[in-house]
Amino acid sequence: MGEGLEQLSHVSDRAGVGAGMIPRWVAPCVVVAFAFVMYASGGFVGDYASRVMLDTGIMMIAAVSLTIVNGFTGQFSIGHAAFMAIGGYVSGWLTYYGLLATLGRTTDLGAEHGWLLLPAAIIGGLAAAGAGWLVGLPSLRLRGDYLAIVTLGFGEILRVLLQQTDRQRFSSQEMSEVGLLGLIVPPDVGGASGFESIPKLTNLAWVYLMVGAVILFAIRLKYSSYGRAMLAIREDEIAAESMGVNVTRMKVRAFMFAAFFAGVAGTLYAHQPGTLLRPADAGYARSFDIVIMVVMGGLGSISGATLAAIVVSLLNVGLLELADYGAMKWRMPIFALLLILIMIFRPQGLFGLREIWDFFRSRDRTGGGR
Amino acid sequence: MSLLEVKNLGISFGGLRAVQDFSLSIPPGGLFGLIGPNGAGKTTVFNLLTGVYAPSDGTIELAGRSLVGLRPFQIAEAGLSRTFQNIRLFPDLTVLENLKIAMHLRGRHTLAGTILRSGHFRATEADQTRRAMELLSIFDLTDRADAYARNLPYGDQRRLEILRAMATQPRLILLDEPAAGMNPAEKLALAESIRRIRTDFGLTVLLIEHDMTLVMDVCERITVLDYGQIIAVGEPAAIQKNPKVIEAYLGEVANER
Repeated sequence: MGEGLEQLSHVSDRAGVGAGMIPRWVAPCVVVAFAFVMYASGGFVGDYASRVMLDTGIMMIAAVSLTIVNGFTGQFSIGHAAFMAIGGYVSGWLTYYGLLATLGRTTDLGAEHGWLLLPAAIIGGLAAAGAGWLVGLPSLRLRGDYLAIVTLGFGEILRVLLQQTDRQRFSSQEMSEVGLLGLIVPPDVGGASGFESIPKLTNLAWVYLMVGAVILFAIRLKYSSYGRAMLAIREDEIAAESMGVNVTRMKVRAFMFAAFFAGVAGTLYAHQPGTLLRPADAGYARSFDIVIMVVMGGLGSISGATLAAIVVSLLNVGLLELADYGAMKWRMPIFALLLILIMIFRPQGLFGLREIWDFFRSRDRTGGGR
Repeated sequence: MSLLEVKNLGISFGGLRAVQDFSLSIPPGGLFGLIGPNGAGKTTVFNLLTGVYAPSDGTIELAGRSLVGLRPFQIAEAGLSRTFQNIRLFPDLTVLENLKIAMHLRGRHTLAGTILRSGHFRATEADQTRRAMELLSIFDLTDRADAYARNLPYGDQRRLEILRAMATQPRLILLDEPAAGMNPAEKLALAESIRRIRTDFGLTVLLIEHDMTLVMDVCERITVLDYGQIIAVGEPAAIQKNPKVIEAYLGEVANER
């Protein structure tokens, strides 16, 4: 026994990332400070560059949140964009009609309305998490690939349903004619032509505050008893259940956490300057983009998903730069080729199951593995 | 009163009666063995006891509480833990993490506490680490705490599985062929460890084993299974001489002589 206790000090406890030696308030402070820098730099970064950074940040949130399901619990969800769309549409409906009713306009907003994004993101996230619970509860009880089928179907159903929604109302006068119930059933979110003029509340500070929040959340979850129970499901579901992990409950929770942050990402996307929220945003094409990032980064690797989101986003930008030379039509072939090459040469993704900091730990203890 | 009381347990897979009329009573602190030829239904019995399969009939009680109908994680909570015949560790997690996962069920965990790294969270983590290191010291594995489970040598993987089962703080532990693939020296060490588990940790043990030397050496009482039915129950010495057992293992030698 005594020997065991002596050994304690030599073991670099992996829960130490976030706990351990670094005081627990440091990480949140870094996040807030970074967001502040982003906020302050908003005036200096050009429109184009800031647009790229917004897109990248939103994809980082989506990829890291999907890691909680696909990477931690090893379940395969391919409908993440649907949860983004739910967050976007719900929060967009609230801010658009809310401002239309109170201010009479949704554009040309001053900085004093910037805070609205926070409640919008929380409500969008909660709506998405609720949808995640509904989708996850039946499909996650089963072992196997049912979740993939159900989530894929869910995204397509949602896309079609959104196309059938009512036309948008553009004045407070129109709003009072249809009444609150009329705005909700069916929702007046523009149908197939898209949901226009959602207040442009998203900025770099909000996006990177949320990026920081989701990364912090994912890391602290991963290195906790709670998160380890999820990882155990990925590793061996039967053994996890036999060792006392309530597998169904853990899977559903992971799925809801992921859906929540997808809803946050969707809220940021909906309120981003220059975007039009469309039903196609819920479809499988966008979901696959997110899955690609998670697979590319390495299933379960938070740092891998973050990096892959940056790489994929920048690759998109690079191809856009070459658009004059007809590069855009090569976008899908290039992604396909990239994925094939990764599957051949590094099937476990950039970082595999590991985090970037795991590679700096002593090799003889931990070497090998995936 | 017995700790584990199994009565007339049975399960059918379609028309196949895999286990029939299986009864077993283990007193607290007992060290019992379950043996039988390949395919006799030993692992099926373990799967029935741990809730992996639902029994077609019969009762299972652990310290007076019925386990029938409970899911495997609830049975682990009730105090029954196990190892697997084909090792089922969490290969891409560290040795320490493997043990801490098995401790999850005994802790109180809130999401807020986890994300905010509350004092309770830190205390729980530290306590889990301390207890995991204590467990590792039983098999001299403390210096492997940080290694990924997949990188352990085979024998250490088997030992880690036993420790992981112990980490759930069970009252009864089921060991499914713990000596499989071990050499004679390792088997001797294992026999010693199994005895220690019982005496030092007050655990009750039921083990499946093919290695007769080990079974006869450590077990107080043995149940022999063949074609899903109990053919003999008794102390090791009596089992060794039981003609039915010899027949099950070696065929009908006696008649031809």
